[in-house]
Amino acid sequence: MPNKQLAMVIDSSRCIDCKACMAACITANAVPVGCNRNWVKDAEPDLAKGAFRGHFQPGGCMHCDNPTCVAACPTGATFKSPEDGAVVIDRGLCIGCGNCIPACPYGARFRNPAIRKADKCDYCAARREQGLSPACVDTCPTKARVFGDLSDPDSEAARLLAENKGRLVRLVAAATDTKPNMYYLGVTEPRNWPVEPAPPTAMAAMTGLVDPLVKTAVALSGLGVLAMLGRQLFTKPTPPHDGHGHAPGDQTPGSGDADRPDNRS
Amino acid sequence: MSPLAEVKTTRRGLFKAAAMAAVGAAGSGLLGGLAPARADAKGPAAPPFESKFSVCDMCFNRCGMIARVQNGVVVKLDPNPKFTKSRGMLCARGNAGVAQVYDPDRLRYPLLRDGGRGEGKWKRISWDEALDIAAEKMRQVREKYTPSGQLFTAGADMQSEFVSRFAEVFGSFNVTSHESLCLLSLNRAFLDTFGEAPYADVINSKYVVMAGANRFEALVTPDSIDLMDAMQRGCKLVVLDPRHTKTAALANEWHAIRPGTDLAFMLAVAHVIIAEKLYDPAFITEKTFGFDELAAHVAKYPPAFAEAQCGIPAADVARIARELAAAAPASMVYPGRRSSDYVNSSQIRRGYAIVNALLGNWDKPGGLLAARQVGLTPVPADPPWYDDNQEDRLDAEMSPMLFEHDGSFVHTRDAVLSGEPYPVKGWFIFKTNPMQTAPNRKKTIKMMEAMDFVTVVDITMSDTAWYADLVLPAPSALERTDPCAGLQGSSACACVVKRDPVVGAMYESRPLFEIVKGLAARLDLAEHFAFTIPEYRAKQLAKLEGAEAILDRDGVYYNPGQVYGVYEGRIFKTKSHKIELYNQRYAELGLDPLPVYTPPSTVAEGSFRLVIGRNALVTQTSTQNNALLGRFVPDNSLWIHPDPAAKLGIRDGERVVVESKAGKGELAAQVTRKIRPDTVYMLSGFGTLSGGLSRIKGKGASIAEILEDAADALCGNAAMHETLVTVKRKVA
Repeated sequence: MPNKQLAMVIDSSRCIDCKACMAACITANAVPVGCNRNWVKDAEPDLAKGAFRGHFQPGGCMHCDNPTCVAACPTGATFKSPEDGAVVIDRGLCIGCGNCIPACPYGARFRNPAIRKADKCDYCAARREQGLSPACVDTCPTKARVFGDLSDPDSEAARLLAENKGRLVRLVAAATDTKPNMYYLGVTEPRNWPVEPAPPTAMAAMTGLVDPLVKTAVALSGLGVLAMLGRQLFTKPTPPHDGHGHAPGDQTPGSGDADRPDNRS
Repeated sequence: MSPLAEVKTTRRGLFKAAAMAAVGAAGSGLLGGLAPARADAKGPAAPPFESKFSVCDMCFNRCGMIARVQNGVVVKLDPNPKFTKSRGMLCARGNAGVAQVYDPDRLRYPLLRDGGRGEGKWKRISWDEALDIAAEKMRQVREKYTPSGQLFTAGADMQSEFVSRFAEVFGSFNVTSHESLCLLSLNRAFLDTFGEAPYADVINSKYVVMAGANRFEALVTPDSIDLMDAMQRGCKLVVLDPRHTKTAALANEWHAIRPGTDLAFMLAVAHVIIAEKLYDPAFITEKTFGFDELAAHVAKYPPAFAEAQCGIPAADVARIARELAAAAPASMVYPGRRSSDYVNSSQIRRGYAIVNALLGNWDKPGGLLAARQVGLTPVPADPPWYDDNQEDRLDAEMSPMLFEHDGSFVHTRDAVLSGEPYPVKGWFIFKTNPMQTAPNRKKTIKMMEAMDFVTVVDITMSDTAWYADLVLPAPSALERTDPCAGLQGSSACACVVKRDPVVGAMYESRPLFEIVKGLAARLDLAEHFAFTIPEYRAKQLAKLEGAEAILDRDGVYYNPGQVYGVYEGRIFKTKSHKIELYNQRYAELGLDPLPVYTPPSTVAEGSFRLVIGRNALVTQTSTQNNALLGRFVPDNSLWIHPDPAAKLGIRDGERVVVESKAGKGELAAQVTRKIRPDTVYMLSGFGTLSGGLSRIKGKGASIAEILEDAADALCGNAAMHETLVTVKRKVA
């Protein structure tokens, strides 16, 4: 288990969909045109039926405790940081195979065309090294996004979690709980959008397409990852990734699972 | 030659370098006081950037910022946590300030027109030549048409006061601002009721009625943020808007009011409060003037009247009135901001002011607050006397209640075109874009054509610059030394800000101050600009001991003054020295002393009322070409309800032609129930003419082209919701 667990606690009822978080992220992380590391989802009311109250939901990589993207990565480039629990990408190891992209239930990953490698939120690692909070959190006008270390009871994030026991929501796909470290307070909408993670396409990335040197490196350094990958592939069949929504799952607000980060005591 | 394209690759290269630098690491120290302490910091790693305070310039709000600078390049703008007006936040536009600095479309050097007006042919000239030409043309205008033959127009900027100063010493009465295309009707109404334009104490309010305002999209600091905080603590928000805005989506109630009928709603609310005696009688007696006249007046406007006009059930109108009164004085009709809507907008907003007066919320928590003393000392000019000059402003006689310092752009334009009461032939424009923000663009083009010489100072080739004779490149706000400015923001602040350069001025750009200084020197007016901006700031701060050091430490200086109860023992600045429910000056001028409801023009079958607005990613045209914001809002569309769309055979996403008496535009239809069937909506900022805005060229339609140029009958503010349009499918 990591020494720390960085997480985001979001009060989506505060979000006004101004997209400052997205603009801040693009600038802080040089996110290329057509790509985004974070988002605001819009639960549009059915005006035809007289409903008018909307809800906006900020999001991004959820830095899961059970990250299917890590399992899908053939080189070990994507891993959960033992130091702070963030799911990060080692760009030196990433071969840009793209397997991790459909393996994320949240669409949080993309192939960065500028570097031809996988990319996603890293909680603004470069900013954190300077003592700054992630750009989206720092800039948020209504402070809907709160960031911190859940293992530190004095952090605002941990305090919010403690104060809101019984009304925490984690967004998960119907059949796969990746145990995200993104907690929503109270009611949040939309909720049924995460998709089932798709397993890597055969072992294409490992056979035909990859430079032999990389393969060797992977073989030497990524045996553990491969073992995990194999287990993921063969022990748990999952429906194919269709990139769309699915039937509502068991994401009951205030479920016991959501209330308590279960990888810490 | 097309000098605009020349340096693009270099600039792109620099921007790329800036982005790359964000990832790398090159050391230089954090400024003292600028390093936020965070619990999750990984220890004291060498910071790769410098941090410098600044003040945002992406809209009028002036939110506090910290610029992160690396190797002389701004890589990120972050909010200044000590800046209470902006509540320690920076919106998407603020973040996009970096893209503005490194915009490859920026103007690089002075350009002199070298073809027909608006033809886009330019000649690069030196600054000396540019200032010589501009000064000589001004001298000729002054000699031929008197000093008032020169018009000055400045947008919202911390250096705009130097345009006014220059106009004053040059001798021209004719200065217009962006204000008469925006908020003057609102200011008129509240000045003529309370004697001043108030600040809404949204954060402490328990009940807010918001009509003609969209605070969760058209951000105003601190109001937008405070509204969310207040709502989290139980404040109820009632939104009246023909559109389902994001504000409506987050409100407790949304009523899709018929456009132009807000006054009927306000009069009916006043009717209920008075009929049911829901007011504080002591407050009414002590603080207001004309209550009996108001009571008799609003007797004509029961909730059923509002229902017939507004389309809001009478029971809801009455209930809202009772709920407002029950929460009073911590309740309000939010005054709003842009109120350039109807020919009677001043009277409409008088209705808002009167309901607030009946709620007794003046000068109280959760109500309307008086402006506070910021404490800056004015630095007046000592203008020379010109014997041979006009008597007054060009538009002085065209509105009974004109704001002398702002004028009316719409009326000024008409006067320039008619040549009456006197000719105006020179125009100096700084950082505002009437070609795109004023209604009836064809008239603005004619106004340009009527001028002997037009000089535009701006950062990019706006549509207005495109039609000028001389275009002078200005640096962005991050590249300048600016004077101090006082900011107000409800209970959040009465504060002072300043700007120092975060990075050096790009290209050959020169700040407005240097430009008017150069012109003044050539027109024998040098003595009026014989100072530097730091010297000017020292004079401004003369009575605020220690303020400059605090500004350097925190990026903002607060004047801790009394917030509530400042009117105790004080008179209101009105004729009766009380809150004028009944305005005596109006009566003397033959105007309605109490707001009389006049219904909006009838929208015939097959036509629509065009309403305009903006969102949190757009500041009219000043952000239109921004590379970052364009990722979110690349185009505008026409909101149209599915019912009329079906009748017209218009499907979502199809191209449509929107046409009024003034002009037409083509854009994509957005078929949506977020708009009433009798109304269509367009975002401002698109449909440009300029060839110097590469990202926006050919995108969407322009509000300026389609809107007709009606004006507020009292103050001459543009009336931009009076235009009726037809919508047709674009035939290929």
